[in-house]
Amino acid sequence: MTARRWTVTLVMLVVGAVWAYPFLWTISAAFKTQQGMFTGGASLMPDLWSFENFERAWVNAGFSRFFANTVLYTVSSTLIELVKSALCGYVIARYRFPGRDFLHKMIIATLFVPVASIIVPQFVLIEQLGLLNTRAGVILAMSGAAGALYVLLFIGFFSSVPDELFEAAKMDGAGFLRTFSLILPLAKPVIAVVVIFQFIANWNEFNIPLVFTLGQPELQNLAVGMLSFQGEHVTDWTGFAAGMTISFAPMLIIFLFFQKYFVRGLAGATKG
Amino acid sequence: MRTPAKGLDRLWIAAFLAPFLVLFLGFTLWPLAATVYYSFFDWSGMGPIETFVGAGNYTSIVQDELFWLAVGNTVLFAVVNTAIKLPLSLVAAIFMTRRWVRLKRVFRTMFFAPLVIPVAMAGMVFTYLLNPSNGALNSILRDLGIIEKSFDVFASRWSAMLALVLVSIWQIFGQYMLYWMAALQNVPEEVYEAADLDGASEWTKLTRITLPLIKPVAVIILLLALVNAMHVFGLVVTLTGGGPGTSTYVVSYFIYQEAFGSIPFQYGYASAAALLFSFLAFILVSGQGLIVKRAQELRKEYGV
Repeated sequence: MTARRWTVTLVMLVVGAVWAYPFLWTISAAFKTQQGMFTGGASLMPDLWSFENFERAWVNAGFSRFFANTVLYTVSSTLIELVKSALCGYVIARYRFPGRDFLHKMIIATLFVPVASIIVPQFVLIEQLGLLNTRAGVILAMSGAAGALYVLLFIGFFSSVPDELFEAAKMDGAGFLRTFSLILPLAKPVIAVVVIFQFIANWNEFNIPLVFTLGQPELQNLAVGMLSFQGEHVTDWTGFAAGMTISFAPMLIIFLFFQKYFVRGLAGATKG
Repeated sequence: MRTPAKGLDRLWIAAFLAPFLVLFLGFTLWPLAATVYYSFFDWSGMGPIETFVGAGNYTSIVQDELFWLAVGNTVLFAVVNTAIKLPLSLVAAIFMTRRWVRLKRVFRTMFFAPLVIPVAMAGMVFTYLLNPSNGALNSILRDLGIIEKSFDVFASRWSAMLALVLVSIWQIFGQYMLYWMAALQNVPEEVYEAADLDGASEWTKLTRITLPLIKPVAVIILLLALVNAMHVFGLVVTLTGGGPGTSTYVVSYFIYQEAFGSIPFQYGYASAAALLFSFLAFILVSGQGLIVKRAQELRKEYGV
């Protein structure tokens, strides 16, 4: 038992180290000088601890703006996605109305539609609405594109809530909204999953911001801004590493704080 | 039990449905229909859509070697990527859910960390780590004496494809480990303890207890993995840029290049490519679903 425990731990440590290496390399490169980066090879130790790269990335290269855009896009799209899928899932799960089954089937059918393949009409739609090259346009496209999976999660969850709860709410004279506000807190595990997954997906979103902010650096998020940064400053790898570190540090901290909820939330949502 | 909608509730139901419906119509259903429509026209995105070409776009797509190369690359990428990442992440997840494994928090963080890097940025980091002149991979291999001369991963199609597959696995691994961990939480620890008492090997436990119990979720994870891998885009943009030459083009990159890459934009052509690929992907995925279903029926018939 102990031999097995040590073997597994050792193997996992080695694999884990390989896994973490590109990460640690990026962080250390953010502190290196250009010279140290170029001659450093695989080394993880900065030659000089310099914070100059961060300053250059944050101020000169506009990472402060990319960062602000990313926060705005991520928070608003995640909120919109959560609200639309929770409301829709609740109604489909608990009420009978004309077109209900059809809608449910359509949602399932579009579960696997690739965003990349329908991005042209989405682009045209945003253009028609006069929202091309605006932040509202990016948010709308990001929160409009995904969602089928989350509605299905909510439908699954709300269908599994015991009918007695609804009966009891009715007995107490609770109306539509009151009942919903009583039931909603029960859906915390599903809400956690939607928020966590969509937050990560939106933070990392690349395709939509790329297409919807073509040539508009002041609207770009970190992922897209990084690409244009690299295009303009081909040799400034330490500045790039600093920009990377700025962009993933907040997410990493959030993850470290909330990691136990990730698994618990997901397990809760897939049960039933 | 579902309550029939009546009275004032109808208004509320409509209000609750509205946000999703509006976005669903605007960003999924209408774009799907429009893609079909555009695909019959020669349209650059400017001015009215009037040059009807019938099946013209399709006949050119079918003869477009680059499109088929992209389709081949995408399918290859999706299959190899899935075949490597699913079993490995399952094994990792099994260890991560066992009581006797130490340092679980550390491992979980290590495997999960790459997920917070946008995949497009991960591509850029790896272009540096893999570069032949002073990248980490070449310098480690040189220091260890495994290679004498530096090699360029991105110089040939196959090594570039391999790099795409591996970097993608590196980035997404934690997410699939998490899916499996969630699936495994539904398997009670006592079952394993009972199997331990009977002296069952790890392999027996995996094939006789774990897999059968998580099978329904496993099918969904498999489908998600395949479909998500077929949408690979950002990584290709930043890691290989479709190169060397056009040899690592994937379909989403092909569509992006046709639609937005160079003037004149070819929306009609890109739409036809998107539809044709969606159709192929649908056949591939549902075919795979059918095979899984058939295998399950067979197992039931023979009682194994």
